Amino acid sequence: MASLTLGAVLRRAALAGLFAGVAAALIAFLVVEPRIDDALAIEAARSTSDEEPLFGRTTQVFGGMVAAAAVAVCLALVVGVVFARVRHRLPATTDFGRAALLAFLGFTTVALLPALKYPANPPGVGDPDTVTERTVQYLTLIAAAAAVTWLAFLVHDRLSARPWPPAYRAAVGVAVAAVGYTALLMTWPASPDSVPADIPAALLWDFRLASLAELATLWTVFGLGFGLLLTPRPVPAAAVA
Amino acid sequence: MAAPSAPTASATPIRVPVAAWLIVAFALLAVFVLLQLNSTAFAEQIHEFTHDGRHALGVPCH
Ligand SMILES: [Zn+2]
Repeated sequence: MASLTLGAVLRRAALAGLFAGVAAALIAFLVVEPRIDDALAIEAARSTSDEEPLFGRTTQVFGGMVAAAAVAVCLALVVGVVFARVRHRLPATTDFGRAALLAFLGFTTVALLPALKYPANPPGVGDPDTVTERTVQYLTLIAAAAAVTWLAFLVHDRLSARPWPPAYRAAVGVAVAAVGYTALLMTWPASPDSVPADIPAALLWDFRLASLAELATLWTVFGLGFGLLLTPRPVPAAAVA
Repeated sequence: MAAPSAPTASATPIRVPVAAWLIVAFALLAVFVLLQLNSTAFAEQIHEFTHDGRHALGVPCH
């Protein structure tokens, strides 16, 4: 690949994002939805209101899959621009390695870290009165996590001016990120909600694992797909001669 | 960044115009609209349609 342009990077990112979105939607349908159904049954048993839902369950299941796919493409475009910006400073020797590294950092920053502090909940757990407070906690944590990831990248990048072995620089970068993430997890406020007594712990755990599986699928398929699409195709032997 | 450091591998920098960050802003806005809106009438339609996705992706909700 002679020289990569931003447009070429973004096209590949968007396509990989679409693959990732379809894969995540599939996991949503197969793994997450059964847990949501369990939670909705508990919610219905409370029967505090009899208002008609805006959409039927089939539409909502479909909507959830569409949302996963659309979010995946949007995130892919964000990562695509960041990739173009930092590509020549990422510590990998191939575009596949750079794409995989960036996707891993993306998963850690915007999916894994918030999931550790504010784990996903099925319907019927969150208190509607605290949703704004919880949204602010969640979004500020993601913004702060992105800042920590950026700081770790900058520290690692600055150290490349020194004659250190790459492994030393990598270790320092990882240490900066680990200390930063730990500090965030310790300082950000706990969710104001407590889990209602009628929600079984096993359901909560299964739902959280299922949610993390969907997020991990999204980022893994994106990282691998983006990296593969950036990998130059081998030139056929006939063309070389 | 005052002192540009030597690249760790031999990849040529890609030119990223300022306008590219508009794509980033637009994409983030789209994610916000899809998953975060909470209380307006228009938002209620989107919220209800993407509701399962919102819970599944770990976004705070009810
Ligand atoms: Zn909800």
